[in-house]
Amino acid sequence: MMTGLAVLVCGFATGVGTVVLVQNNPGDWVAGDSAGAVLAFLLAGWIAVTVGVVMSRRRPESNFGPLLVAAGFTWFIAAWNNPGAGSSVVFTIGLVFYAVGLPLVAHAALSYPGGRLGNRLELGALVVTYGGAVVLLGVGQALVFDPTEQGCGFCPDNLLSVASAPEVVASVNRAGMWIVLSGAVVLALLAGWRLISSTPAARRGKAPVLLPAIAFLGAGAASYGHSLSRGTLANDAFDRLMWQVQAAALALLALGVAFGWVRARRARSAVAELVVDLSESPPQGGLRDSLAGTLGDPGLVVGYPIGDGGHVDARGDPVELATSAGQATTAVLHADETIALLRHRADLLGDPRLVQEVVSAAGLAFQNERLQAVARAQLDEVRTSRTRLVAVSDGERRRLERDLHDGAQQSLIGLMLALRLMRSRIDPDGDLATAVAEAETEMRRAVDELRELASGIHPCVLSDLGLSAAIESLAEGATSRISLVRAPDVRLSPALETAAYLVVAEAAKVGTVTVNAVRTGGMLVVDIDGIGAPARLVDLQDRVGALDGTLTVEPAPGAGGVRIRAEIPCA
Amino acid sequence: MRVVVADDSMLLREGLARLLAEAGCEVVGKATNAVQLLDLVAQTLPDVAIVDIKMPPTHTDEGIAAARQIRRSHPGVGVLVLSQYLETEYAMRLFTEAPDRVGYLLKERLADIAVLMDALRRIDEGECVIDPTIVSRLVHRVKEPGPLDDLSAREREVLGLMAEGRSNRAISERLVVSPKTVEAHVRQILLKLGLEESPDDHRRVLAVLAHFRSLR
Repeated sequence: MMTGLAVLVCGFATGVGTVVLVQNNPGDWVAGDSAGAVLAFLLAGWIAVTVGVVMSRRRPESNFGPLLVAAGFTWFIAAWNNPGAGSSVVFTIGLVFYAVGLPLVAHAALSYPGGRLGNRLELGALVVTYGGAVVLLGVGQALVFDPTEQGCGFCPDNLLSVASAPEVVASVNRAGMWIVLSGAVVLALLAGWRLISSTPAARRGKAPVLLPAIAFLGAGAASYGHSLSRGTLANDAFDRLMWQVQAAALALLALGVAFGWVRARRARSAVAELVVDLSESPPQGGLRDSLAGTLGDPGLVVGYPIGDGGHVDARGDPVELATSAGQATTAVLHADETIALLRHRADLLGDPRLVQEVVSAAGLAFQNERLQAVARAQLDEVRTSRTRLVAVSDGERRRLERDLHDGAQQSLIGLMLALRLMRSRIDPDGDLATAVAEAETEMRRAVDELRELASGIHPCVLSDLGLSAAIESLAEGATSRISLVRAPDVRLSPALETAAYLVVAEAAKVGTVTVNAVRTGGMLVVDIDGIGAPARLVDLQDRVGALDGTLTVEPAPGAGGVRIRAEIPCA
Repeated sequence: MRVVVADDSMLLREGLARLLAEAGCEVVGKATNAVQLLDLVAQTLPDVAIVDIKMPPTHTDEGIAAARQIRRSHPGVGVLVLSQYLETEYAMRLFTEAPDRVGYLLKERLADIAVLMDALRRIDEGECVIDPTIVSRLVHRVKEPGPLDDLSAREREVLGLMAEGRSNRAISERLVVSPKTVEAHVRQILLKLGLEESPDDHRRVLAVLAHFRSLR
């Protein structure tokens, strides 16, 4: 806070001091003696320093703020190489740093807003331009420039001067100008490319900074180009015009940064509205849609963590949150616990603090939706596990039925044959023959009982031939009437057929039933008109429920009758 | 009579073969699966093939498929399907395509050699044989009041034997009445049930079975 204020005061003072300083010799100053130009000079530098200081506070991790402050200061310092500077220290500083403003502005603009350059090309162009501006035009020239020897009698001393070599000054100057000129052009192109290659959202955020920077660099390049023939930088009418463009561009660049803050505030107030919306009528899965709309990222994904490390959306369905290029995730924290993860475009929220504000503002809505999503996911899990359990138990019953029919029953019949063969070898009238015959009779009863048992566990005709055949078979063996009006001819899933069959079989145990099973609109609807509810109604409801179906029992129009209706989805 | 036996259970296959041999049949081949059975039938052309309903590899309906295949390829060879399932539908699937020279018996009938031999003889003579337990299930099915209720006890008995695939002559022998009496009963039954009279006994079986299965 104090540092920022000090820098701010220092910046203002530097501006005023510079203006006072150059009043000794306004003829050699590019702003000249025009009051408007002086005001423009001051405003451009002051705005740059002020915005830079504020930015340093808002984004302490980014070096954009310090760079902009530095650009503001060098904007003033560029005037210090004025022969009227009075102090040799000031004059020497001016000699060294008068050209560094151009690469600094480019550096700041290309680092906006996060403080990092985009690629090595940008870094290389910057290094070369800095080199041209500071090493050649600054230090290099100062070393061999003796103001007195070169006809500037009233210039202050150049503290760096070690020799006087006017022809070296000229060639170093020329080389430096070439380098800075080329650097400015390349940097302007790189800034332009940065704009073109950005996503629309990022472009909206960066254009207010990059466009003035391009203008600044363009004007600088034009000025250098104009000065090449002359051999030195000077301040004729064209140079003054270009300088004015630069003053305006620097001020606009800084204002562009400030505009970014306004936009962020607007986005925040949109978030606030979103939160009001959500608290008024929280729509299902709507938090994602609302956020995507508010933040302008249609691909936004909201995931809620569930116990096993996975994530689900508001409906409880699994979502993938792995990021690819250009995407980033932001965690929504509540009491140090991650309650949601957002996957969004990396540059969506230029100001990371905005993300945190979105997150804290919508925290309650996230919390709410998370609880629902987790509950749905758990419900889904329970439902699948119930379906799985039923499938496993069906499979076991089928296996058991097959084992009884093909194993135990076959063996019993084989033994019956053996007994029969034995009987044909012994005295047909003896006691032994009678005993064997009795054993055969017992065995035949056992075979019958076994068949009935196996069929009760699982009717094989159901898996072999389907629901219709199985109900017919049930009707043939039943002790009360079972009338099958109709049943689907097509085969359905084993679980579905088994559930429908068991409902019919249980209902038929109570008494006479009329069965009507139809497939309509993706559902198998089994209507059973009977005289009472099945005994194991809850078991049947569980089984039907495991297939996302419903089983209801209602009084039927007839006296004392009931209508049992099973409705089960069949895809 | 020359027969082949196909069953994947060794106990049943060998036991049945010995039983048949004792009863005077010539067992000309034994098979453990449907492919072997079809080869064997083609080589030996037996009078009747005795086939287990479920055989390797899938243990579903290989027996029925093989029976139909045999009936198609060798019209002179009869097939008796042995099943542990008391299911009319399986029997119907066997009969609908070729209702003559086929039979469907429950496996436990094997122990009663007289029943087995009777079935084999009838199949060899071109009749169709349905296990009495299945017919009894059909006849005694609980259903809505209908024409069956108009039949006399004797007529129901005759109808049951018709449904087992027996000819008038066989019924008359079974009930120890004259063939003329049986013919009169049959006419009455067909009239009451509204069925066409058929010169062909096994067609008559199909009509009777279809009638049973149409009842609610």
